[in-house]
Amino acid sequence: MPPYAIETETLGRIYKIRGIKKERAIRRELVALADVNLKIEQGELFGLLGPNGAGKTTLIKILTTLLAPTSGMARVAGFDVTGSPHLIRPCINMVSGGESSGYGLLTVRENLWMFSQFYGVPSKEAYNRIDELLKRVGIFDRRHTKSSDLSTGLRQKMNIVRGFMTDPQVLFLDEPTLGLDVGASREVRGLIREWLDENKSRTLLLTTHYMVEADELCDRVAIINEGRVLACDTPSVLKQHLQRDVLFEIDTTPLNGLSLAKLETQPGVRKVTCQEVDGGATLNFILKEEAALAVVINTLTAASVNIMKLSKHEPTLEDVFVELVGRSMTDMERSRINE
Amino acid sequence: MSKQDTTGSKKNTGWRLFWQSVIARSYPRIIGQQRDMSWMLFEVIMPLGSVIAYVLVYRALKAPEVYVGFVVIGGAMTAFWMNVLWSMSTQLYWEKEQGNLALYIMAPNSMMSILLGMAMGGMVATILRAVVIVLLGSLMFGVQYVVVSPFEMFAIFAISMVALYGMGMMFASAFLLFGREAWAISDMIQEPVNLISGLYFPIKSLPFWIAAAASVIPLTLGLDAMRQLAFPSGFKLGFLSTRVEMLILAGLSVIFLVGAKLLLDYTEKLAIREGRVTEARR
Amino acid sequence: MDNSTSAVSRSEAWRSFKYAAWLGWQITSNWTDPFLFAIYSIIRPISRAAILVVMYGVITQGNFTNPLFPYIYLGNAFYTYVFTVMNGVSWAVIDDREHYKTLKYMYIAPIRIPYYLLGRGVAGFLTASLSVVITILAGILFLHVSFDPLQANWLLFFVSLFIGVIMLSMMGLVLAAVSLLVVRHASFMAEGVSGVLFLFSGAIYPLEVLPKWLQPVGFAIPITYWLELMRRSLIGNVAQAFPTLARFSNMELLGILVGLSFLFGVISIFVFRHCDRLARERGLIDRTTNY
Repeated sequence: MPPYAIETETLGRIYKIRGIKKERAIRRELVALADVNLKIEQGELFGLLGPNGAGKTTLIKILTTLLAPTSGMARVAGFDVTGSPHLIRPCINMVSGGESSGYGLLTVRENLWMFSQFYGVPSKEAYNRIDELLKRVGIFDRRHTKSSDLSTGLRQKMNIVRGFMTDPQVLFLDEPTLGLDVGASREVRGLIREWLDENKSRTLLLTTHYMVEADELCDRVAIINEGRVLACDTPSVLKQHLQRDVLFEIDTTPLNGLSLAKLETQPGVRKVTCQEVDGGATLNFILKEEAALAVVINTLTAASVNIMKLSKHEPTLEDVFVELVGRSMTDMERSRINE
Repeated sequence: MSKQDTTGSKKNTGWRLFWQSVIARSYPRIIGQQRDMSWMLFEVIMPLGSVIAYVLVYRALKAPEVYVGFVVIGGAMTAFWMNVLWSMSTQLYWEKEQGNLALYIMAPNSMMSILLGMAMGGMVATILRAVVIVLLGSLMFGVQYVVVSPFEMFAIFAISMVALYGMGMMFASAFLLFGREAWAISDMIQEPVNLISGLYFPIKSLPFWIAAAASVIPLTLGLDAMRQLAFPSGFKLGFLSTRVEMLILAGLSVIFLVGAKLLLDYTEKLAIREGRVTEARR
Repeated sequence: MDNSTSAVSRSEAWRSFKYAAWLGWQITSNWTDPFLFAIYSIIRPISRAAILVVMYGVITQGNFTNPLFPYIYLGNAFYTYVFTVMNGVSWAVIDDREHYKTLKYMYIAPIRIPYYLLGRGVAGFLTASLSVVITILAGILFLHVSFDPLQANWLLFFVSLFIGVIMLSMMGLVLAAVSLLVVRHASFMAEGVSGVLFLFSGAIYPLEVLPKWLQPVGFAIPITYWLELMRRSLIGNVAQAFPTLARFSNMELLGILVGLSFLFGVISIFVFRHCDRLARERGLIDRTTNY
């Protein structure tokens, strides 16, 4: 039995980017992953949390033997991803969010049966597992529907079943609830937890940019940004680091030119992020002490910014991310779009 | 062989897994063909038009009747060549676009089983096309066959198919790396192969060295040998003796199958290293 | 329809056609570097022509001075337009629906789909033209196809080409309409249909070679007249060595071509509308059917 289900050591991946024809002479390198060190134990539900473009999918592709690292080492189920991919593949499976794989002309059951055969699952057993899983995700009644006739959400459920039905030792879920409604997402999270609890030799690596999902499900979470793991621990320990700080959320009228930089320089203010909403702004403060709130209120009042709502809240993983990166995930994704 | 993994499930491995995958991947093709029968018109009936056209060219040129038979057999063999080129080799490119290629590579089965499954699944349409061309072509134009040794004929056909599909698997490995150029390159090689394989004329008509080079394509020698065995005057227009051609085809089968395995493994590793398995380079 | 509405409609049609032509060219031309593209553009047509040249050479012992040879050679060369233009228009449905998954977006955009599809066929026309020129040049340089540019009827050539391309585009539109309703082995449809038309159009043999009961089919399709006009415009006297259409003057042939093209054009419009409506009713615009 290998000591860890998944293990990486200074893992890195660099992509060479070629420009369009006119810029062919320019070659840029994109560092998708750098110096990633993870040790995930058997039976663990491990979360990888980060904004779009952080490197989550790249890491999953390396661990599922679809992409080779450019530096470092990775082992899954005790085998090296570069040297022994053929030994890893019988032990793993993967589901990606927003997948369109499968064949539209085949029914749900037929698509799933076909994929089960590639893993050597005997047909009878495959059908039993497929039917059971379809019931658990709530699409058993659609098992004879052609997959081209399914909605995006139902097709994603079918793909989720595809991942579970081969009973892998290590399952990789890359944003599995993408495209699912609230109810369906809840069902999937329930399935994930039950699946792991049924058999302690199973391990699951989940990537997501939904904080709630990571918080609710994961035994441990690694926060990743720009290819680097910034922190890795249980959600409660990660949030505990912020417990010494005080977190406030303040809804205000428009800021009237008041800059975040000015707010951050106020005594006692560690970090502030801003989200503009209709007719105003939502400011999230990480303060060193509660007394600093008075200074913040004064600064806002002096700038003729009215406070509509004020609440104190417990730290979330989003706050942890802000603490580590300096900006919220939403800000990061927005600035990436604008680049 | 079956193995029990650490989660307690029994799964097949080795040759059982190989054939299980072949059957599974052929399934979508077989079922798809039953669920939409339009392929019968586009892939079986219509191709007969080209075959008839080439027969009529020979009739216009007042060629000996044996040439009509050559066209009919050549037209039938085209079906297999098209199956290899479009339904197997190039297919990997479309699988990549759809996101299935990553799932195939990640699975513990071999890519050769997937490719073979694709080819087997398309066999119904392919064989039907070949049979329709031979039957209708022969009936319409009064082609007379004199097959002295049906066993030898079948052996030649079988070994040609093994070699041809082995070659197709080698092509497929190249298409693991290609983007859209996969389709264009298939399109580009289709006509030259039609030419140098002698689909519509005896390969002996070409200069010796061109014919010899063309013999690397299994279709060339397979067609030549089958024509020699099917028509009384066929051997006069044959390139090499049927025995020699069968031996060469056997050798090509081994080379292509081994080469396919090595090349598929190599290009898979290369695609993984360069990150091309999941890119959609449309 | 008042003037402003018809002006908007014309502008929409032109915009659909123009940008589709640009897109079609982008897709067709930039899959590789120019050198490989050039090789591709040369090898395909030369190989196709070479099959017939070898067949002819084997039987006639290399007698390329017989007027039948330029008849076959040029007919085959110009026939490149038939497959490539028809395929260029109809393949856009498969390509956009199955591979790029953009057909649904084209449908909801304020463009005219038939004009969009016709625009996508422009790239096919351009690559076919390149193939035809290369094939004919090879014939002139290496195979003694007798051609005197000063003797050629260039006006007839370009007028016939223009009408022919429109006619082929309309046929492509019919195939595109059918493609909306069938699965992706419709990708072989253009090849299959052009194979059947190859049989009946007198491209590589005079229609007299066909059984008598099949010859009327050849006389009913506009491609037959188009190919005859293309041959006559380049190698007039040789083309008229065959009796099939010798009794028709150039103007009469043009008239028949225009008439049949118009008829096929009307048919294509009706077929497209019908198939388009069925595709929407059945929800087929955004399905993928690869297996």
